[in-house]
Amino acid sequence: MPYLFLGPWLLGAIGLTVAPMVVSLYLSFTDYDLFNEPQWVGLDNYAKLFGDDPRYLHSVGVTLRYVAWSVPSKLLLALAVALLLNALRGKGQAFFRSAFYAPSLLGASVGLALAWRAIFDTWVDTPDHALVTIVLLSAWQFGAPMVIFLAGLQQIPRDLFDAAAVDGAGWWRRLWSITLPMLSPVLFFNLVLETIHAFQAFTQAFVVSGGRGGPADSTLFYTLYLYERGFTEFRMGYASAMAWVLLVAIALITAVLFRTSRYWVFYGDER
Amino acid sequence: MKAHGVVGLVLGAALLASGCGGGAATGGQTEIRFIWWGNDDRAKVTNEAVRLFESRNANIKVSTSFQNFQNYFEKLSTEIAGGNAPDVIQMDYRYLNEYAGRNVLLDLTPHVGKEIRTTDWDQGFIGSGKLRGKQVAMPLAQNSTTIVYDPKLFSAAGVKAPEIGWTWADYREAAAKIQASTGGKVAGSTDFGGTEDVFETWLRQRGKALYTDEGKLGYTKDDLKAFWQLSKDFRDAKATTPAELVTTLNAGAEQTPLGKKLSASEHSYDSLYGGYNTVRPDELKLGPYPSDSKEVLGSYRKPSQLISASARTKHKEAAVKLIDFLLNDPDAGKILGANRGLPANLKIREAVAQNLSGANKVIFEYQKSVDAKLGDAPAAPPKGDGTIYKLMQRKHEEIVFGKKTIDQALDEFWRDAEEALK
Amino acid sequence: MKRAVVFVLCLAALGLVLYPIVWLISASLTPVEDLVANLRSLFPGRITADGYAGALEGAGGESFWTFLGNSTIVASGAVIGNVVSCSLAAYAFARLRFRLSGPLFAFALVTIMLPAHVTLIPQYVVFQRLEMIDTFVPLILPKLLATDAFFVFLMVQFMRGIPHELDEAARIDGCGPIRTYRYVVLPLSRPAMVTTAIFTFIWTWNDFFSQLIYLSSTENYTIPMGLRLFIDQTSSSSYGPMFAMSVLSLVPIGLFFLAFQRFLVAGVATTGLKG
Repeated sequence: MPYLFLGPWLLGAIGLTVAPMVVSLYLSFTDYDLFNEPQWVGLDNYAKLFGDDPRYLHSVGVTLRYVAWSVPSKLLLALAVALLLNALRGKGQAFFRSAFYAPSLLGASVGLALAWRAIFDTWVDTPDHALVTIVLLSAWQFGAPMVIFLAGLQQIPRDLFDAAAVDGAGWWRRLWSITLPMLSPVLFFNLVLETIHAFQAFTQAFVVSGGRGGPADSTLFYTLYLYERGFTEFRMGYASAMAWVLLVAIALITAVLFRTSRYWVFYGDER
Repeated sequence: MKAHGVVGLVLGAALLASGCGGGAATGGQTEIRFIWWGNDDRAKVTNEAVRLFESRNANIKVSTSFQNFQNYFEKLSTEIAGGNAPDVIQMDYRYLNEYAGRNVLLDLTPHVGKEIRTTDWDQGFIGSGKLRGKQVAMPLAQNSTTIVYDPKLFSAAGVKAPEIGWTWADYREAAAKIQASTGGKVAGSTDFGGTEDVFETWLRQRGKALYTDEGKLGYTKDDLKAFWQLSKDFRDAKATTPAELVTTLNAGAEQTPLGKKLSASEHSYDSLYGGYNTVRPDELKLGPYPSDSKEVLGSYRKPSQLISASARTKHKEAAVKLIDFLLNDPDAGKILGANRGLPANLKIREAVAQNLSGANKVIFEYQKSVDAKLGDAPAAPPKGDGTIYKLMQRKHEEIVFGKKTIDQALDEFWRDAEEALK
Repeated sequence: MKRAVVFVLCLAALGLVLYPIVWLISASLTPVEDLVANLRSLFPGRITADGYAGALEGAGGESFWTFLGNSTIVASGAVIGNVVSCSLAAYAFARLRFRLSGPLFAFALVTIMLPAHVTLIPQYVVFQRLEMIDTFVPLILPKLLATDAFFVFLMVQFMRGIPHELDEAARIDGCGPIRTYRYVVLPLSRPAMVTTAIFTFIWTWNDFFSQLIYLSSTENYTIPMGLRLFIDQTSSSSYGPMFAMSVLSLVPIGLFFLAFQRFLVAGVATTGLKG
């Protein structure tokens, strides 16, 4: 019976996801220039990544810094605004919710890149500040986690708060003892997904730096470098190796997050 | 799980192994696909020319597609890798070897001078589409390096406008004076030290080239050091843009320091003048590069775009026919005009020159003024040049922002450049 | 009093958040000569609607309405696909007990961890073999097959929040998994479904890369592709129409958000979980 429900997903996963993933795993052990038959090179690509490619290690550093800054700032912003909006019941909420979501309507487009340049001016073109502007850009588009937080807040049964109010609990106390624990599945979801997304961040950096990861490699994100290797230098085997290293790294971090979730995430279906 | 993995592997490998060519032939009708990059104006004239071609060749249908420059190559590489290569492909000089060197472009040699007519051509220019003896592309149009400048700022500072015979020292002094005369608000020149095109022109002035015939670096460490020193001299003389403006150069003309009125003069290609002209209408002029050599200007007849056929095309004849039509048909020439630059066919070029206006007129006049000094194009850059192009920009940025000394940057550049050419 | 404080806080935050959008609208009304030289001024001296005229006229021989129509088809197809297929899969993972549940769910998560760039070409080959290039199928079919594991995960998280007593009550009433899904879990997961619909619509609307790869004829181009036809670094660009089209393309997704966001609040609290 479960497989009836899983049918479409299984079909898609096998046909459209697993097959391409397996192909890319195979390619990571080859020298593949996109146009000619891949040549088996064993672990060469992986060895080169860690042994002989300072730019690769640099891009890892840039990405880690980006993840460390952008994930907390985006989530805190989203949570704060969601709590604010939740406190603002009635007509105003719909308006503000839409307005705060507005930045997230803009994908990473040329227009947005120019707006960012207009606002941050030469910061975008200075090595020491360029990354900051991209962190701000990502935090600014906090609409998605905000909406998910809001949906989560809606699901908290109102009578829990009523009971707490009767007990005389203040705002902070209710936040700590009711809201956050009840919100924890959603918080966990947002944390995991934003972390994965941040590791894979591409479009913002691509658009803001014109695809170069500049100035002076200061915004050379992991995937930006991967893209450069694969699509502008036609070293798809190397790019595939990069992708699989990233996959393993993200999987490990996600596994750790899932491990810790036992201690701080509470599900309604747990008895 | 295991079973699924195996199925996936087999499926994926089978799909990857069996490449498949596009283009369907139905009922005597041949269908070919032609793609190019450019803007809407180019799309209008190109589609019109293609329609004329179809009306003259009732059995050939041409489907077209266009993107902007950057997106074009993203799509093209995926299509070719996916076994769906277009039949006729607009090509860039810098990308030519990346594609031809990987055997995806058709060798047109047997057709040159036959189905593809070349009688009205500058014979030296034909060679710009040749690699290792194979004609892998035909140049569509010509452009050259140039200095775009703001004549008002030049005359306000009391300095002479660029003209043949001016030297790099002349340029530096003029630029410093302009910068001083605007109180430092507008730079005298745009920093050129990270741009391979400028380096190439400068190298040619010294009798050298970017690459040897074997595809190795055609210059020494000292050459590059001298070039970076030249750029530093400009900075030291307060004659060029500050560091944070150096990095914006990869964008269109509109976003360069000159386009944004932050610089008085800028290295560029004459074919980009149209872009400058949209943001600064009728304010800018084109002049020759400065050169320390009396004889050599360094600029050359560069193919602004080339046209190729896919090596895997199933309709070679139709593809070659379309290429010849776009290059040599007088009516097509009339429709296409100067949109891609100076047409390669000299008769068509002359006809187009008769009724020009606006930006195109400026470009043609500049080309005429330097024509006697222009050299023939060298062989297209080798595979790896795209990497080196960016590398030079990056290393120069590190110098300008004070992250590296010239010597450090030079060592790193050399190591990575040689790696890229392997 | 407290409400007023919250209100003021919201307004202040809003000003900051909306500034770049106001800039974009202002840019779309500014003549391009003024804009480039004076990038930071918000209110141009001169105002022009030329950009909008150019945007509506379109590019490559196709009008804005063609791009709009194509984007609408692709985004709507994606919404239907994601909502149906992801909720089915999520229900199985969240509410049904079966042996491979854990490993399969972990695998679903792993599929979102691989950067898309390296699976692009193998995926292209699949659709090329199926002769679906230059159709909307490669953009919609994956959604019908729940390849966006993001949304599967999202729905799982919400469905796990629904108390188990409800399933048991349904079972006692004689409901099988299908009817439990249809009449118990689905209605109670409405915020998650609406969230999925909204995100899918907006993200598909703005997604450029896969559309670039799979669509070739200009008459099949979507808005993000149309937008980029105005900008070419090797010739001249039309910034006015590009900015104007950027602003215009916000309207449908803004309206979609406005239309569906009210369902976000109508979640468990009002559908009478306790009643």
